[in-house]
Amino acid sequence: MIHVQGLTKRFDDLVAVDDVSFDVAAGQVFGLLGPNGAGKTTTLRVLATLLRADGGQATIAGHDVRREPEAVRRAIGVVNGGMGLYDRLTGREVLHYFGELYGMRRDAIERRVEELDGLLDLAGTLDKRTGAFSTGMKQKIVVARAVLHDPQVLFFDEATSGLDVMARRAVLDFSRRYPGEARAVVWSTHVMSEVEELCDRVAVLYRGRVVADDTVAGLKEAADAPDLERAFFTLVRRSGLAEGQEVAA
Amino acid sequence: MRWSFVRRIAAKEILSTLRDHRAIVSNLVIPLLLLPVIMLGLPLLLGGLFQREATTVTELAVQGVEHLPAELAAAIEAQAAVLVAVDDAEAAVRADTYPAGLIVTPGFADTVAGGGRAEVVIVVKEANLRAELNAGKLRSAVDAYRRGVVAERLVDAGIDPAVLEPVAVSTLDASTAAERSSGQLAWLIPFFIAIWTLTGGQMTAIDATAGEKERGTLEVLLVTPVRRGEVVFGKFLAVVTFGLSAALMAIVGFVLGGTVLRRLFLPLIGQEGGEMAAMMGGTLTITPTTIVLLVVSSVLMAAVVAALLMSVTLFARSFKEAQTYVAPMSFLLIVPAIALQFKDLIGSGEFVYWIPVYNVMILMDDAVKGTARLAPILTTWGVMAALIAALLAFAYANFKREDVLFRT
Repeated sequence: MIHVQGLTKRFDDLVAVDDVSFDVAAGQVFGLLGPNGAGKTTTLRVLATLLRADGGQATIAGHDVRREPEAVRRAIGVVNGGMGLYDRLTGREVLHYFGELYGMRRDAIERRVEELDGLLDLAGTLDKRTGAFSTGMKQKIVVARAVLHDPQVLFFDEATSGLDVMARRAVLDFSRRYPGEARAVVWSTHVMSEVEELCDRVAVLYRGRVVADDTVAGLKEAADAPDLERAFFTLVRRSGLAEGQEVAA
Repeated sequence: MRWSFVRRIAAKEILSTLRDHRAIVSNLVIPLLLLPVIMLGLPLLLGGLFQREATTVTELAVQGVEHLPAELAAAIEAQAAVLVAVDDAEAAVRADTYPAGLIVTPGFADTVAGGGRAEVVIVVKEANLRAELNAGKLRSAVDAYRRGVVAERLVDAGIDPAVLEPVAVSTLDASTAAERSSGQLAWLIPFFIAIWTLTGGQMTAIDATAGEKERGTLEVLLVTPVRRGEVVFGKFLAVVTFGLSAALMAIVGFVLGGTVLRRLFLPLIGQEGGEMAAMMGGTLTITPTTIVLLVVSSVLMAAVVAALLMSVTLFARSFKEAQTYVAPMSFLLIVPAIALQFKDLIGSGEFVYWIPVYNVMILMDDAVKGTARLAPILTTWGVMAALIAALLAFAYANFKREDVLFRT
């Protein structure tokens, strides 16, 4: 579903993403795990065609991100932690706006909104202006907006940041259910427990590079660590990328 | 460019702005009312005040009233004034006891009667408008008295008073009716239209660019299949709509001020107010051609301003930062408007129609004076269309720049 090979992205002298490679199969939730500044968001932005890679290649649902950006954008949905919405539009208006930008007809959008209401419990969010929403209500519309066109690949970037426990649980449960057999989820986070719960495979990113790519159990075994957090620090230390940095044992 | 996407982007921005009550007030209500208020409200108010001051009987201080000839006293009293004898006219005026005063030197009446040169002093606080109006009553009375004395002396000497006017001078105003009625301050009209395109469009422009970045919605918008060019053009159309709506409201206000209100209120504002209204462009002749020229010019002005707003505000990381970028932009409109006041001195050759923004203001000025010609109209519109294309290309290039879009 996703194939990334040698992806590199520079901002002046900073190499934000350095020769990153990974594959995500249909039906998988794939984790991108790393601290702030590891290159997770930049990687997702390149895959979402918002940024142009300086090297390497990537395909999503068979479409090359560089040569077929529009086809890639049709195949993906993005949920980020910003929960940005248009304050003066209602939830339904936001969904119709984005649905039309995905080329959906009004009746198709309305049918899909009803479907998503069943999945995400959108009651109370559809006909109220989003400026008056709680954080949890906002996140429901943000998720609904991302999956409105039923994308094959869904990116979550620090998607639970700032959410209360109920809203966080709803997002985690939704993302676990989403892949089914023909779709995939990329879950980008620095929260170890989310990766442990959700992800079938994980790429550990540090300073723009993939230091490990395996299942959660595989990472623990490789690092000989009892939990993912300890495994993460061991793998980062072994990579040699953390020289000069304090990395916990 | 897919128009359905452009329309969708524009419609969303327009709806979003329309739901902001502040935008309705600043884009529709204020532009509608401001020009009529300036064109007629101000003259209505000041004209009424001038008229009241001219007709209200005012007490004026006179020092040396015993030396004042009866004819001069009568001339002053004929100007709606009552003379009050004081010992020190200067002190009385300085203390604001009286708005103006007169110092009559000892022996004034006798000196005049004897054919000599007598002196009076008008006392006034020159920085005070009301005092100046009352001093004007004294000046008029003294001048009328002086002319009477001169005529009397000439007649006594057997000379026709007309000898003092060997050359009769008069001025023939060669202006057209439209030019005459446009007034010296008619430049305010293009100035306000230009300013309203900026004021009306800026809220939408900032919200659609820096606001989207700040909320994090721009990134989500750009991962949909919509193309950057469609986003830029859709947002641009929304900004033009609001800039233009404000400018059109200003034009509607101008038409109202120039016709309907003039018919209703001009009789009420008196001669002074009428002259002031004419000076401010309040008695303009509005023709369909004037309106077409103003509307098309406003569209072009709104489009230039909108494209500029889009280019500039996208650089900002937040709504507030964008506001600081927009504020200096008003100078780009104020400077040509100031130059417009001096256009007679700067010159109005064909070259001025090649100067962007200034050319539209000149053309609007020409339009309200009924002096617009085809060649300058085409030059102006062509130059502005080229500028719009260049600015939109710049805005589009910025929308493709990663360092601009993700500058957070």
